[in-house]
Amino acid sequence: MKSLRVLLLILCCSTLSHAGDNDFRGVVHAIEGHYGVHHMHIPLMGFALWIARPQGVSGLKLALFENFNGDSTEDVSRVVENSLGPDWYPFVRVRSRNSVMGDDETTLIYASPSEGRLRMMIVNVESSEATVVELKLSDRAIKGWLKEPGEEAEGQSGHHHHDD
Amino acid sequence: MAQMTNKTTNKKNTSKMLWLLLLACPLLARAQDVKIPPDVEKLSARAKETVEVTMDGPMLRWASKFLSAEDPDEEKAAKLVANLKGIYVRSYEFDKDGAYSAADVEALRSQFHSPGWSRVVGVRSERNGDNVDVFFKLENDKMAGIVIISAEARELTFVNIVGPLEVDQLADLGGEFGIPKLNSKSLAKAGKGEHK
Repeated sequence: MKSLRVLLLILCCSTLSHAGDNDFRGVVHAIEGHYGVHHMHIPLMGFALWIARPQGVSGLKLALFENFNGDSTEDVSRVVENSLGPDWYPFVRVRSRNSVMGDDETTLIYASPSEGRLRMMIVNVESSEATVVELKLSDRAIKGWLKEPGEEAEGQSGHHHHDD
Repeated sequence: MAQMTNKTTNKKNTSKMLWLLLLACPLLARAQDVKIPPDVEKLSARAKETVEVTMDGPMLRWASKFLSAEDPDEEKAAKLVANLKGIYVRSYEFDKDGAYSAADVEALRSQFHSPGWSRVVGVRSERNGDNVDVFFKLENDKMAGIVIISAEARELTFVNIVGPLEVDQLADLGGEFGIPKLNSKSLAKAGKGEHK
C-alpha cells in the first residue's frame, strides 16, 4: 500500500511539473499548431521517465509525435525558436544524412543557463517522427556537455560515428 | 527647363544613393562580424553528418562562472572564456574521400587573407593529407579572434573564436567546448612569432 502511495505521488509530481512548465508546453504546442500533429499519449509516461532517466539528468519531460512531416530543418528550428523565451540559446545542432536509406535526422539543442543549473530543450526530427525532450543536468553532466558538446549531442540523439 | 530636369534627376540619384548606402550599412557591419562564412555552411549539403556548436554571450559568461576554481584546468578555461564573445564550431563528416575539394578549403582560407587577419600556423601532412590552418585577427595590435580550419580526408572542422585570446592560451582551450586539440609546440612557436 505504501509503495502504491509513493508511485501515485511520483506520478502526480511528474504531472504537476509537466503542467507548470511553460517552455516545454510552448514548444510542444508550437509544433502541434504549425504541423497539425498531436503528441502521443503514453500511459505512465512520468513514471517510465523517472525509472529510465539517464545519469546526471533530472526533470525529464518528453513528447513524441508520429506521422510528423517537417518541411526542413530551418523551418523546425524557426518554429521552436519562436516559441522559446529569451533565456534560451541555440547550443548544438546535429544533422545526419543516410544516403542509402534516404532518411535524414536532425537534433536541435537549446540551453537555458541560470545560476548553477542548465536546462536543455532537445528536439529530434526524423523522416516521420519528432521528439521533444526537456531536462535538467547535474554539475557533472554539465561539465561533459561543456567539454564535448558535439559528442554529447550525438550520444543524446542516437547519432553514431561509423568507420567505413 | 532642362536645368530643372537635371537638378531633379541629380536629387533623385543622390537620394537613391543615400538609400542604398543606408541599406548597405547593416550588411557591411554584418559582413565584418561573420561568425560562420557562407562557404562553410554550403559544405553541410554534402556532409554525412554536421555538428554545429554555438556558444556566445550569456552562455559563455555562465560557463565561465560554472567551471570550478578548484580544478586548475577548469580555472584556466574559465578565465579565458570569461573574456570571449563567442565560440562557433562547425564539423562536417563525409562518407567518402573527395566529397569536398581542395578548392573548397582554399576558398575558405582565402576569406582570412584579408587585412587584419594573419595565418600563424599552417600544417600540411603529405602522408595522410591532413591540413590545419590557424588565423589570428588583430585589432589595435591586440588579438581579437582566432579561426581554425582543420581539413582531413573525410572530415572538415571550422572553429571561430571571437574575443581576446593569446596564442599560447589556445592550447588550453583545445578539447573544451568542442574545439579540437591542437599541437601545443606549433602554437608555442607561433606565439613567439615563428609563423609557418
